[in-house]
Amino acid sequence: MSSVSPENLAEIYRTTYRALVRFLYRKVWDAERAEDLAQEAFARAVIHKPDNARGWLFIVAANMARDDARRAARERRHLTLLTAEPQETTLASDEAIEVESDRARVRAALDELSPRDREVLLLWDSGLSYEEIAAQTGLARGAIGTTLSRARRRLVQAYEAGKAGEHVARG
Amino acid sequence: MSHVDDGTLHAYLDGELSPAEVQGVEAHLAQCPACRGRLDEERALITRAGELLALAAPPDRELPPFRVGDVKPPTRLWWKVRLPLAWAATLVLALGIGTYLGSGVEQRQQPETAADAEPARPQALESPLSSERARRESRVKPRVAEMAAIPRDTALSAATPAPAPAPQPGFVMLDGALAEKASPITVDSARALLGADPLAVPGAPIRTMYRAREIGYSAVVIVEQALDSSTVIEVVNGRRSPLPLDAVVVTGAAAPGARADSVSAAERAPLSRARITDSLAAAPAAKAAARPLRRFDNLEIRISGPLPSDSLGKLLQLVQPVKP
Repeated sequence: MSSVSPENLAEIYRTTYRALVRFLYRKVWDAERAEDLAQEAFARAVIHKPDNARGWLFIVAANMARDDARRAARERRHLTLLTAEPQETTLASDEAIEVESDRARVRAALDELSPRDREVLLLWDSGLSYEEIAAQTGLARGAIGTTLSRARRRLVQAYEAGKAGEHVARG
Repeated sequence: MSHVDDGTLHAYLDGELSPAEVQGVEAHLAQCPACRGRLDEERALITRAGELLALAAPPDRELPPFRVGDVKPPTRLWWKVRLPLAWAATLVLALGIGTYLGSGVEQRQQPETAADAEPARPQALESPLSSERARRESRVKPRVAEMAAIPRDTALSAATPAPAPAPQPGFVMLDGALAEKASPITVDSARALLGADPLAVPGAPIRTMYRAREIGYSAVVIVEQALDSSTVIEVVNGRRSPLPLDAVVVTGAAAPGARADSVSAAERAPLSRARITDSLAAAPAAKAAARPLRRFDNLEIRISGPLPSDSLGKLLQLVQPVKP
């Protein structure tokens, strides 16, 4: 593939931006931060003009999310000096609470996956093909199906187990 | 033919097998009820996993416009300091001016004393270079130079024609921390954002409420109140981030080491830059810690304004929830 022109990149932006935000969101769990990082990934693509822009964007995004998480950890260490008490999420309505707790359950279930399984699953869910996922993760193309089947199974199991656990805890 | 393994079934259902492989799988399925049963199970599993992931999707928002040649890094908070260098310089400049002049409120109250054409608003930071600004710039040069010393930034800024600073959202200095101040909001919006009644000093008319963003907070609302005709204070209501950030870290940091090898050296450079932004961050954080602060459940309240700190401290003791 040849180097991307601005026009190509605009097209890639149109087709990939939301997928990138979706991918990033499952890493940073903050919609605005995910959008910021996606914007920045595209800003870098404009400068770097990578050959395979789509794959490049996801690699850059994954790295930025990881750096972001590390930075957040450092910031948090500072902030714990200011405030120690745990924070409860306060939400407006029952519906919002339900949405939020579903999200938290899925997030917890995703955390149960191995990093590699999770990455493959998130990339697939963001619309990447097996070929692209293999290129990004370094896995053999033939291993993607197996990895995905395991990741999906664990996600569903962990989610159901988490839900069952909550019911037990509530008595 | 032996049974079809799970991975192949998933690849088949995902439409990721070659035509020849598809033929092989379908030939086997046609004569193997057990695998047909498994096919249905795996299909249901794929659907279920997709549904679960959809529960954890970001809100569907409109696609922001893509502007070729005008793509800027996000400018929301200090930690987003990135290329091009011109923006970094602007930000450092903002920090310098903010520290120098004190709070934005102070500036707003004494427009006639300042030298700039329009110093009353924080947005004035983005106004074209004035002599005043040029003078201040010399104060922050060492920091700009420090940032320029990072090879990646240098390379990128050389590759990018530094654009003139575009209009930025308003930035305000809140007790030494830089926060973005966005558009005015209603009391109801403030309540929804904070998940509680915003707090304000009783008896002082509320002029405006702003939404703001600040590091470490999931929501920040600034209540602007007039104590008298010439004194305006800002009551900063911050809701702490509800998500345990260390959990985020576990997710990210646990990425397999192999991934690092797929990263070009250039992409690892941000680490060194992060250290710089950390050093920039350390000062405001330490400063903020020393300022009076009050907690109400999930909210942290601070007050800034053109008053002595002990007066602000007393006002802080007075704040009450703004009831509907």
